[in-house]
Amino acid sequence: MSIVFKNINKAFGDSSVVDDLTLEIHRGEFVVLLGPSGCGKTTTLRMLAGLETVTSGDIFLDDKRINDVPTQHRDLAMVFQSYALYPHMTIAENIGYPLRVRKYPPKDRRARVKRVADLLDIVPLLERKPRQLSGGERQRVALARAIVREPRAYLMDEPLSNLDARLRVQMRGELKRLQHQLGTTTVYVTHDQAEAMTLAHRVAVMKKGKLQQFDTPMNVYDFPANRFVAEFVGSPSMNLIDGGIENSKFVTEGFSVALTKDLETGRNATLGIRPEHITISTTPSNGAAAATVYVLEQMGNETLVVLAAGNLKLMARTDADFRVAPETPVWFTVDMSRAHFFDIDTGTRVT
Amino acid sequence: MKRFSKYLLLALAVIFALAPVYWVLTISLKSEVDQFAIPPRWFQFAPTFEHYYDAFVVRSFGQYLITSAVVSVASTICALAIGTLAAYSLARFRLPYNLDQKVSLWILSTRMFPAIVTAVPLFLMMRDLRLLNTRTSLIIVYTAFNLPFVVWMMRGFFAELPRDLEEAALVDGDSRLGALVRIVLPLVAPGLAATAVFCLIVSWNEFLFALVLTQTDAAMTLPVGIAGRVTQYEIKWGVMSAAGTVAMIPILVFALAVQKYLVRGLSLGAVKG
Repeated sequence: MSIVFKNINKAFGDSSVVDDLTLEIHRGEFVVLLGPSGCGKTTTLRMLAGLETVTSGDIFLDDKRINDVPTQHRDLAMVFQSYALYPHMTIAENIGYPLRVRKYPPKDRRARVKRVADLLDIVPLLERKPRQLSGGERQRVALARAIVREPRAYLMDEPLSNLDARLRVQMRGELKRLQHQLGTTTVYVTHDQAEAMTLAHRVAVMKKGKLQQFDTPMNVYDFPANRFVAEFVGSPSMNLIDGGIENSKFVTEGFSVALTKDLETGRNATLGIRPEHITISTTPSNGAAAATVYVLEQMGNETLVVLAAGNLKLMARTDADFRVAPETPVWFTVDMSRAHFFDIDTGTRVT
Repeated sequence: MKRFSKYLLLALAVIFALAPVYWVLTISLKSEVDQFAIPPRWFQFAPTFEHYYDAFVVRSFGQYLITSAVVSVASTICALAIGTLAAYSLARFRLPYNLDQKVSLWILSTRMFPAIVTAVPLFLMMRDLRLLNTRTSLIIVYTAFNLPFVVWMMRGFFAELPRDLEEAALVDGDSRLGALVRIVLPLVAPGLAATAVFCLIVSWNEFLFALVLTQTDAAMTLPVGIAGRVTQYEIKWGVMSAAGTVAMIPILVFALAVQKYLVRGLSLGAVKG
């Protein structure tokens, strides 16, 4: 099912939460709404579910305007951050609830519950109560309740945020596989850029109620539309350096580098470089800038180095076997073909 | 020593609470001679059931008992049905101009004046409605008086329940009312039980309105019936005590039966379950 948000605004009293959002989600697509807390992503999802009213603008499901359709008639399924399992019902009753209120015959209900329980590997839990389950198990039950019928779309509100790190990565993979199998349109809200990158067909990055960029994860990563997106997506974050353009060079205090792109001389800009596009060497070479090692963070598979060059701090990614003591002088080069430039005032992408 | 004083205090509290009950119970079982013996006969007397016979067979206390039961149960059910729905809307829906807050406070304010203030107007209204000396009049009045309490108590229970659960039910395809019946009410059942017990006790013990609105045996409740044995010429201590003892039993049984819910209900939300 396709979902269209058209010029959606949402305000609580005087404060605007979602500001002129327009978003077109295709049938079968997995779209992630990504942003820091308070960016309006959850409110957007709740408007789609019908749990919040729309202040102005229209929402369409398959070309039908649904602003005034009550939640229960929208035929969507939602996974809540808190899972929202019904505490007084067994797991089987929880999963079967959407079927029960739709008056499926009991026999059919049992068969469907059994089928999703098989799919999610929770058959042994069916007779238990939610409070007897671990977080990961509750998560699966919440998913099972969403997929037990064939809704027109799945809405997920930070479904993995209450799980521990290991389980989160595991469930992330399973979610992706599940969505691929079912092929149902999914709108997924998260503040975790890793979830967005791994799960989404397309990511909608939001900030303070405004859509910043809506594109594939790789395009969001490789061509961030503005400074905010550049910084928010990617871990560790992109290095952002304010400076000026002079004679085909980007110049800032303690550091200058030759440009490979044409930029007008004299303008100020913010240079963005991802940590993996900085190369460090312990020996000086032609064109390399000098710096000292500020901190070394060994991750096992790679080493993150924070460089100090004048007042600048730069994060660089190197091989796991790069080992030097703090304060050691090093030299670094920047892959300028992968560099980004943003307008210093508006933050929008220049090239 | 600390332990000793703790138990001493407990013992005093128990005696303070239970001595009158013990006195009523023993009076109801004593012959009239034993009732007035000096020094009082605390334990050694020949028990007799003559006052019970007198009260429930000779006099109309059986009738009063039935009236009390009917009026209490009916008014509790009415107050719960109306009050729970009101409390749910007040807990969940925001009205413009903060009206939801104002309405809640206004409901509570009906309990702020002394009950006697409404006694005369209610008497006149019931007279004009030709409802004097009927159980209906008491059911209406008790329902009205229990409503604010039900609304405020249930509103608290609803407010503590996460909205997620109802929202999940709505997304799952249930109606508002369906979510209330299938999800919300089962979860606030302990609160509902605690509220019901409170309403029952209040209605069961109510004296003022029963006195004002009912004068005939057919419509009189137990408290009024018992008080009626204090007459110009004599005070029937034995009959009063026998009826009083019987009047205590239903409340006691009910409170014991729902004790588990009562404690949970009054502390609902204190511990996440």
